[in-house]
Amino acid sequence: MIGLILLAAAAIAAAAPLPKAAIPEGKRFLVIQPHHDDHTTDYGMGGLIAKLVDAGYDGWFIRASNDEKDGAWGYPHNDMINQRESEAAIAILGMKGLYSLGWRNDYMDPTPLLELRAQIILLIRKHRPDVVLGHDPWGHYDRNPDHRKVARACAEAVWMAGLRNVHPEHIELGLEPWRVPHQFLKARVDYGRGHEANVAVELTQAHVARKMKAYSAHRNVYAHPSMARSVRQQLAARGLKAPELDRKTDEEAAVAIEEWHMDWISRKRGTENGLRYAEIFYYLGEFDHLPGLTGYLRDNVVKR
Amino acid sequence: MKSLLCLLAFAAAANSKTILIVTADAADFVLAAGGTIASMTATGDRAILLRVANDDKNAWDLAPEQAAARTSAECEQAARALGIEKVVSLGYREGELGGVSPTELRDRIAFHIRLLKPDVLFIPNPYAEYVEQLDRHYTGMAAEEARHTAALRNHQPPLAAIGVEPHVTRELYYYAQPVDPRRREPEAAATFVPQPKVVGIEAAFSKKLRAARALKTIQTAAAMRIRQRLESTGRRLPLLDTVNEESVNKLVEIELRGLATLCAKDFPYKMAEEFHYAGPEYQVPAKLRR
Ligand SMILES: [Zn+2]
Repeated sequence: MIGLILLAAAAIAAAAPLPKAAIPEGKRFLVIQPHHDDHTTDYGMGGLIAKLVDAGYDGWFIRASNDEKDGAWGYPHNDMINQRESEAAIAILGMKGLYSLGWRNDYMDPTPLLELRAQIILLIRKHRPDVVLGHDPWGHYDRNPDHRKVARACAEAVWMAGLRNVHPEHIELGLEPWRVPHQFLKARVDYGRGHEANVAVELTQAHVARKMKAYSAHRNVYAHPSMARSVRQQLAARGLKAPELDRKTDEEAAVAIEEWHMDWISRKRGTENGLRYAEIFYYLGEFDHLPGLTGYLRDNVVKR
Repeated sequence: MKSLLCLLAFAAAANSKTILIVTADAADFVLAAGGTIASMTATGDRAILLRVANDDKNAWDLAPEQAAARTSAECEQAARALGIEKVVSLGYREGELGGVSPTELRDRIAFHIRLLKPDVLFIPNPYAEYVEQLDRHYTGMAAEEARHTAALRNHQPPLAAIGVEPHVTRELYYYAQPVDPRRREPEAAATFVPQPKVVGIEAAFSKKLRAARALKTIQTAAAMRIRQRLESTGRRLPLLDTVNEESVNKLVEIELRGLATLCAKDFPYKMAEEFHYAGPEYQVPAKLRR
């Protein structure tokens, strides 16, 4: 019976709007992901990145893999193009810089987890981010080994960077321990039950437009003219046409189609949560790892 | 009357169980399951703790070697407070289980299951989400597998040669501190699926508190980290203006009461712990249980 009640409660909760996330007080953020495009994809976080930058944050992107398989070229060529396009995309979003760790794309399962984690810990200690954005390490059904690997390395790096006995060699270099207080985690919600967001981040149309522009900077993998040609053929086969695409080249049409999709998904996440535009995340706050103390700290912490 | 008492004592002894508790670190089993373990040992059950990692990083101002030594001694005290008879430490370095072969870890746990032949296993719930210390996840997964392989003769054949026979553990408690927002949702109703179980711990709370307070090194580090975070953002927690034994003990009590209240929510207890539980009937497919 209790189980049934809980199930019903969960169903109601899923339909109810998510609480609106506030931008945490802070100065710096890191986006830690395996791939060049993970920050801007339709289920991504480009809107939140734009919003953090607008709020005065400085941000850096850590791209853990070399993206050698993503694109129509040979491995080294893809790596270089994707690196360049990633630099362009983060500049559009207003981030300060990019670190490419160069681990082998789609082969990160056998990557040594602790070595990857050590690299992330070092960069966390260097930048001392108030916010980290990444994949949800608990998301189910993510078929991409790189997403799982980086999310798992990151899940520990965010708190282990705060322990002096973890990689004491960094301390010798003059870096200090730093625990990341806020995390925004994303996953594809179309990958089944796994990822259930707990906050919605309200976006403006300008945030969405910037995310879109950054997204289409990844021209090696998105907004390819062949996609527009395929859409036109499919429409023609059903005796349909989209007048908005008529006077556009295939390349312009591809960008327009991607823009519609981005606008649609951002509006959909907004509408679901009583907002105009939104992205959704699993948010972890500074003391959420201490479930027995969160209430006490909320009620008893005071300003100095 | 005397013979009746003897008879009762005999019955209690006959029903007493052997419990093996597997934990990644010195704190997790106390915070998530300490009250339940203390209740069981109080009624005559015999408990052994298998501690996988060495807590060498969980100190405020001690080098790893000192931290490992200090937390080991404190873990022994915590275990004693819960009525646990013995602590076996595997000695893996804290925070590094992600780099340990899961099969190696499984086989080391399975060895102890075959050696001790427990009736009840407590293991970290490897399916609990948003658990920060992934050592707990890796330990839980290895223990979950170990429970299975310990029962199979074709695993680790040399053990049978020295008389350490395969063993089926009949009861299994998966424990985790309440961080997973979906932890109360029932699993699918299919066969062989453990279900949520909430255990009242009011009578055992003082023992659990004594055990948690025994972990001085870990608790002081936790308090210092909270204070440091607040200080760096222009805030303070009056309780931690001075971090000493008294304030740390108070903080530990507040945390334990907080955990116990969270777990008791929606149940007829003031204080509780929560598990996923697979009892003896779990061994039998649902179709055959009737
Ligand atoms: Zn990706």
